[in-house]
Amino acid sequence: MLVVEGLTCRFGAKAAVDGASFEIAPGGFVGVIGRSGAGKSTLLRTINRLATPTEGRILFDGVDVTALRGKELRQWRARAAMIFQQFNLVGRLDVLTNVLMGRLAAMPAWRSLTQAWLEEDKALAMSALEQFDMASLAAQRTDQLSGGQQQRVAIARALVQQPDLILADEPIASLDPRNTKIVMDALLRINKHFGITVICNLHSLDLARSYCDRLIGMAAGRVVFDGAPSALTEHVARELYDLEASEVMGGVPLPVPEAVPALGTAAAA
Amino acid sequence: MKELEKPDTAALRAKYPDAFERPAAARLATPAMIAAALAVFIFGLHDLGFEPAKFIAGLKQLGWITMMMIPPDPGTSLPLYLKALGETLSIALLGTTLAATLALPVSLLAARNIVPPNIIRFPVRRFLDSIRGVDTLIWALVWINVVGLGPFAGVLAIMVSDFGALGKLFSEAIEAADKKQVEGIRASGGNAFHEIRFGLMPQVLPVIAGQVLYFIESNTRSASIIGIVGAGGIGLQLAEQIRVLEWQKVSFLVLMILVAVAAIDFISGKLRFAIIGRRAVA
Ligand SMILES: Nc1ncnc2c1ncn2[C@@H]1O[C@H](COP(=O)(O)OP(=O)(O)OP(=O)(O)O)[C@@H](O)[C@H]1O
Ligand SMILES: [Mg+2]
Repeated sequence: MLVVEGLTCRFGAKAAVDGASFEIAPGGFVGVIGRSGAGKSTLLRTINRLATPTEGRILFDGVDVTALRGKELRQWRARAAMIFQQFNLVGRLDVLTNVLMGRLAAMPAWRSLTQAWLEEDKALAMSALEQFDMASLAAQRTDQLSGGQQQRVAIARALVQQPDLILADEPIASLDPRNTKIVMDALLRINKHFGITVICNLHSLDLARSYCDRLIGMAAGRVVFDGAPSALTEHVARELYDLEASEVMGGVPLPVPEAVPALGTAAAA
Repeated sequence: MKELEKPDTAALRAKYPDAFERPAAARLATPAMIAAALAVFIFGLHDLGFEPAKFIAGLKQLGWITMMMIPPDPGTSLPLYLKALGETLSIALLGTTLAATLALPVSLLAARNIVPPNIIRFPVRRFLDSIRGVDTLIWALVWINVVGLGPFAGVLAIMVSDFGALGKLFSEAIEAADKKQVEGIRASGGNAFHEIRFGLMPQVLPVIAGQVLYFIESNTRSASIIGIVGAGGIGLQLAEQIRVLEWQKVSFLVLMILVAVAAIDFISGKLRFAIIGRRAVA
């Protein structure tokens, strides 16, 4: 059980996350939505402790995560695996080594620094890659892969961390529709198959509605919506995105505008 | 292409005055800088006693020396010269390798993304700067007094002066590394050593290797020069032959240095490419 209590994260005078409170039961697939700059990334980063909260607490199974330091902090990070929009893989390392990075917190330093990987860690990494059809590319240099392939490597890295929680920060924002489906399906499979809680920032409401069983809406750092996707009314969506709701939800393929918008109006849309 | 609608200049000018009116100071900066540079140059010529007449008179002497150099001829000293050249190459190679080995850990302390507190970074940087501020030649003179004449002093001189230079270059390469890859390691639960070993080094090592190869090449030249003051190698031979006016031997020695530098340049170019193109730097 993840409990977030009055979480605030300030950068200078600006509160990127402002008094967020919610609870997430194990096994959920939670989508975090909201317009650009609403604080979605910062929320996930404070949960993983890549960003330090200014106020508030994060509890996981009763343990105050915000108070952790040193080895315990690193073990928490391994339990709250992060998936990034830009993948954040090490480009010059091969795919297998990148996945093995997910085991760092679970092995003694001498072993990892000399790359004397355990046989069973390698097996774990290869089986994770196999699940996403990436095993044949294990020896490839990671920066030679396509975006969709890299994101699958990143998900494999998250999986071998054997996490309780997966925090995915716009994992599909730089992918095409086909890879979007592959990556979202991979996350869904992890969620349903292993019962790992997934918290996923998404820009597309359609995706959020079809994959998530709960949505958290953020605006200006605050949680302004928390409920089932079906409860997300047009009115709330409009408030979240500051848009005509039909532009956000509505027809699945966006209607092609009849006339090309005049210069200057595109930025306002 | 269709033409854009004609913008309303007056309205835009009123709205964004800064974009249209560059302040006078900004417009005058470039001409003022050129004028100042020219003035300094002319003053320098005057102050250093630059006299074209002296130069033209010297040209005759230069031409004579050039004539005396042809054809290059080592006489009977070829084996001696080859040994000296080998010594020079070893001085450059050993000195640079030692400098790089020492510089890598120190450069981590000077990099903002590894050691954020200024209290540590600032003294390390100034320390590297002050070492670098003293030329290899001066270090050679210092070490000759400490360990005596010979190649050992040369190795120490190159090691110390390039320790400063490489430390600074390495720390800049480290600061330019992609933060996201390091963050990926941190988010997976890696510690500071993991972040450096797996997040940073794969990105930085090819850059560092290129810099070290370049330094080996340029140190082949430096090693010849510090030889002149007694730090071993081919420079010592060169200085001696100039002193006794054996111009044919001098030109042969110069040719040997040129060929060696060109060969090292060629090899290091190939190596640098091989490292950057390598599959994985693990
Ligand atoms: N490291 C930082 N330093 C200063 N300000 C930051 C930092 N990180 C985020 N912010 C600010 O906090 C606010 C929220 O940023 P955040 O990245 O969490 O938004 P987001 O909802 O993820 O947006 P997007 O959908 O564009 O990714 C923004 O105004 C941003 O400028
Ligand atoms: Mg974001």
